[in-house]
Amino acid sequence: MAKYTFVRILKGILSAVCVVVLIMVLVYSLMDRTTIFAGDPNYSKMQSNSRITYEQSRYKAFGYIDYSTYSDYIKSLFSSGEIDDATRSDALKIGVTAEKASDTANEYIAKFTQEYESQGYTITRLDADRKKNGQVKDGGQAVIYATRDRPLIKRVVSYFTDLIFFDNVHYVDEATDIGPRKLTFTLYDPVYGGTKFSPAIIGNGTMHRYLLYFDNSFPYIHQNFATLHLGESYTVNRGVDVFETMTTSQGSYILKDVIFPTGHSEKSADDLHTATYVAGSLEQSAMYATRFVDDYTHTITHKNNMSKMGFSFVIGVIATILSYVLGLPLGLLMARYKDGLLDKIGTFYIMFIIAVPSLAYIFLFKAIGGSVFKLPTSFDMDTNSKAMYVLPIISLALPSIANLMKWMRRYMIDQMNSDYVKFARSGGLSENEIFAKHIWKNAAIPIVHGIPGSLLFAMTGAIITERIYSVPGAGNLLTQAINKYDNGVIVGVTLFYAVLTVISNILGDVLISMVDPRISFTSKGR
Amino acid sequence: MHEDLSQYTDEELFAPVSHSDAESEKIAAPRYSYWKSVFRVFFRKKVNIIALCLLLFVILFAYIYPSVTSYDPYANLLDPNAKHLGPAQALNYFGHELKWILGSGASGESTFDAVWNGSRISISLAFICAAINMFIGVMLGAVWGFSKKVDMVMMEVYTIIGNVPMILIISVLSMLFSPTFWTMVFALTIVGWLSIAYFIRTQVLIIRDREYNLASRCLGTSIFKIATKNILPFMTSVIVTLLATELPSYISYEVFLSYIGMGMSEMSLGRLIYAAEAAMVTPGWQMEFWSPVAIASIITVVLYVVGQNLGDASDPRTHM
Repeated sequence: MAKYTFVRILKGILSAVCVVVLIMVLVYSLMDRTTIFAGDPNYSKMQSNSRITYEQSRYKAFGYIDYSTYSDYIKSLFSSGEIDDATRSDALKIGVTAEKASDTANEYIAKFTQEYESQGYTITRLDADRKKNGQVKDGGQAVIYATRDRPLIKRVVSYFTDLIFFDNVHYVDEATDIGPRKLTFTLYDPVYGGTKFSPAIIGNGTMHRYLLYFDNSFPYIHQNFATLHLGESYTVNRGVDVFETMTTSQGSYILKDVIFPTGHSEKSADDLHTATYVAGSLEQSAMYATRFVDDYTHTITHKNNMSKMGFSFVIGVIATILSYVLGLPLGLLMARYKDGLLDKIGTFYIMFIIAVPSLAYIFLFKAIGGSVFKLPTSFDMDTNSKAMYVLPIISLALPSIANLMKWMRRYMIDQMNSDYVKFARSGGLSENEIFAKHIWKNAAIPIVHGIPGSLLFAMTGAIITERIYSVPGAGNLLTQAINKYDNGVIVGVTLFYAVLTVISNILGDVLISMVDPRISFTSKGR
Repeated sequence: MHEDLSQYTDEELFAPVSHSDAESEKIAAPRYSYWKSVFRVFFRKKVNIIALCLLLFVILFAYIYPSVTSYDPYANLLDPNAKHLGPAQALNYFGHELKWILGSGASGESTFDAVWNGSRISISLAFICAAINMFIGVMLGAVWGFSKKVDMVMMEVYTIIGNVPMILIISVLSMLFSPTFWTMVFALTIVGWLSIAYFIRTQVLIIRDREYNLASRCLGTSIFKIATKNILPFMTSVIVTLLATELPSYISYEVFLSYIGMGMSEMSLGRLIYAAEAAMVTPGWQMEFWSPVAIASIITVVLYVVGQNLGDASDPRTHM
């Protein structure tokens, strides 16, 4: 079994990689890049050369290409102290056409060209765009830039190598002086005032301040040694990883008395345990200066409601449990009293669910639930009523009840004609005994295979149900990302789905081999 | 019961029968025609006749009605009083015509006309997609089930492509091309056949190794003949049943896609529902929303019922 599972996991990883490659081909190579400008108000305002450079910078922001301008290059040389102010202003005089560039500029352009071409970039020079009278048009200044298409293989490799980030003391740029780089272990967490017993590991030079800590939210012990980077968002939540989008709490802030590292105390929602390093942030903000003593300033705030995934998971899991609890016995009874009244009603119900578009019956449930049962038809995070969960759960559960009923009935009826049942009947067992002791167990085996999958996929949320009841769940992540060309998120969410599929298939196999000792996945056994 | 035979003479009891070679070749059992039996069983149920009539009516109406009436959604665009009328108001406002019995929509168009135009597009989409997917799916599924080498490759392809979200493929394609009817057909068929092929593959695997096929192969029947003569007849009812779930599923799926904003540009039923979603919560405007929903549901339910029962009828075991 262990070897089989191992092979299955390897195969699963392989197919997940293939899925990512396929998605990257679809998203980065096949999709027309220019569509990202369709809804961009800045783009239509741009003219001439600045429009071209804007295009390139947006392509870079969306992850299509690597892009660097000559002026950025000179700026970086200046800030690293390689050239002085006079050389810098000289070097920036690139002229309206290549012939009119200053000598210093020519020298540095040559350096720029050489450096970037060696890395596979293509250098483009746009001469100044001039009006008839020789004046340079708005945004028509001459520019030099280097672009490089990201090859697919490199993109895939870097995606997977960056997938799990291991925090280490060399994360902060080595040139920055931040004091001794080390991990300290303390038994008294300074966030709680330094007197309460609460072990924590604090890092300096790491990305996260706290690498291990305890608090009072599930799962109580948290680590930041390894973080998952599924894909960075470019548009919907700029700079935030999808996994973080899925798992951070939502709603309104929970204000608590927080003692900041400077000793300053204030009512705030900041969770100091989540502090991460942002270079130079302390200097830039006066507010940070009163609160923090170093650049570990970026915190996640405490909010009073569940995360996107949390909402989807709660609704999905309750619906799944409900559908198994109701669907299996109903399917069983339908098979037990085949052609009876229950069977006829059940068959009609199954037909209704299969044939009618899901959108139609969810709207129907919404209309009935809202007008007849007076249930809240849209989700509101501010009211903490449990009633708003009812309709989404029912809308998710009813179709899967129908599905389970259909298969349970089918499997039961298939079993009813098998030899062992005839034998049991001829042995004098009553129909109820045969159903309860023999058929049920055999018919449930294929159903058991789907349980891990339906529980795990509860996390991903349901697109239509969540939209109709405006549930703040994870279901709309993918559609939203597609609509906004949020390529990083598309890749991340798809990988997440693929991994869930792989895991649920393997768990399903393990589960049925546990339930039914006859099933063995090893070639040696039996 | 037993008559006393002694009163008859041997001549009276026995008469010679002339032997005929031609007569002895005839089979006394009634001639069995597969499709005749299918339809005999199918029409035995009253429900099926009603459902079939309804289906034919809906399809014919969806194709004939829009082609004999001219439908211009923007004809009343400039008339502010023509918008969002309920059925009674619309009949009063425009006169008592069939096209106003469902009221008018957001740009003063007749909801009735819009719904039937939408139905025509949706039904066409369903039939074209089902035809393409079923054809490719059944053909490749049969090969997939027969060849172990193909099976190994295809299983991996299936797990990989099965993990790529369908919405992503559709949205990428509709961005690549414009989101027209044929783009939609292309998007729904480019990977849609895969699940059908997988289903057929499983069915073929079940039947392939049965004893009668083994015997057939031992006697030297070619694989092609086994596939067409031994296995295909077994598959007819499976294929018809599958078709019964596939056809309505395309209509439902199109509704779903339109609802999340990824549908085609033509005003199909899904697009109508999407466009009228806001009208659902406005008192007096609900008709605009529920009419396309109801028609879509009727079409899918009727297609499903007819298909399922035809599937049942095409199973030779029901032909007794």
